[in-house]
Amino acid sequence: MSTSPDPDAALMLRVKQGDRDAFEELVEKYQQPVMNLVYRTLPDATEAEDLAQHVFLQVYKSAHRYEVSAKFTTWLFTIARNLCLNEIRRRSRHPADSLDETFADNEDQPIRQPEDVKNFSPPDSLLQSELEQKVEAALAELPEKQRTAILMCRGDEFSYEDIAKVLECSVSATKSLIHRGRETLKQKLKPYLKTGTWTDK
Amino acid sequence: MNESEYQSLLETSWRRPLTADELARLESWAAGHPEAQAEWEAEKSLNGLLARLPDAPVASNFTAQVLQAVEREAKAVSRQPSFLEQVKRWFQRPAPRLAWALLLVGVLWFGYDRHQANVRTDVAKGMSVLANVASLSDPAVLEDFEAIQRLSQTAPGVDDELYAVLNQ
Repeated sequence: MSTSPDPDAALMLRVKQGDRDAFEELVEKYQQPVMNLVYRTLPDATEAEDLAQHVFLQVYKSAHRYEVSAKFTTWLFTIARNLCLNEIRRRSRHPADSLDETFADNEDQPIRQPEDVKNFSPPDSLLQSELEQKVEAALAELPEKQRTAILMCRGDEFSYEDIAKVLECSVSATKSLIHRGRETLKQKLKPYLKTGTWTDK
Repeated sequence: MNESEYQSLLETSWRRPLTADELARLESWAAGHPEAQAEWEAEKSLNGLLARLPDAPVASNFTAQVLQAVEREAKAVSRQPSFLEQVKRWFQRPAPRLAWALLLVGVLWFGYDRHQANVRTDVAKGMSVLANVASLSDPAVLEDFEAIQRLSQTAPGVDDELYAVLNQ
């Protein structure tokens, strides 16, 4: 496989050869999508960022095993999801432990810088902020698979086949997860939807 | 358009905004089906809400931190001790040291035991020789030993002469 139609896979093959610039390019490109997933899986924003960084570290460490058998993003999000699940399991066993103890090599890392917290301008409307909180809360209450499926489905980046691979289930099961998750969201957000305030413009 | 195509367009709307043509077809079909119309309105609202969800906050130095972590990882790998170093460290741990001490004691004990066994065998052999000596005939038999031995030392010619005399 000297040539690949997936540019990310080509970058990853360069990473496999030890190319740090290619790795940096991948981190720049996918830090936001990975953070979006991790941030909505782990409740703590700071620890979510630590874990997101660990996702990329894991990508780098696993680069020698990388094979272009699937889209790079599928591989990346599979790693991200597995690390999230490991963290959730670890927390259920040791609720008092922090991520710093898990990733001890990150101890000397500075924590999130407050001035970087949001890279978007908060809407001027408090209503919009309240709306976001309600949606985030409703998403957080979904089962992990439904939430991940809905979040991955949100953009045009992933096909249903890609999402199915990350979730390790069939395409029809993936669509079913999304459908059930959306039904739950609609139920939970129904009072707000009925007012018409939040309907799409 | 039928129910199946309607469902397919709904699923498409979950992933991306519908094109003008897709939207027109879907809304045209929904207009004739009140239940579908209500469902589509709810789906549309939810699509809008999910699409407007803000990105998670990411530190501006996220990439730098990841690269630092990679650097640390690379250093940690290069600092990993060699095989000999690992063996040496292994021996320095209490449990292996105790195990080796016990093994050494065992080997010494085994060697000492084998040595003792050999000594006992030699002693037994000596005793059996002595036992054979003890089973010899009475020493009185040896009383005329020297005279008999001298007989065998007489010159052969003497016997011949005696033999000739006796024959005459």
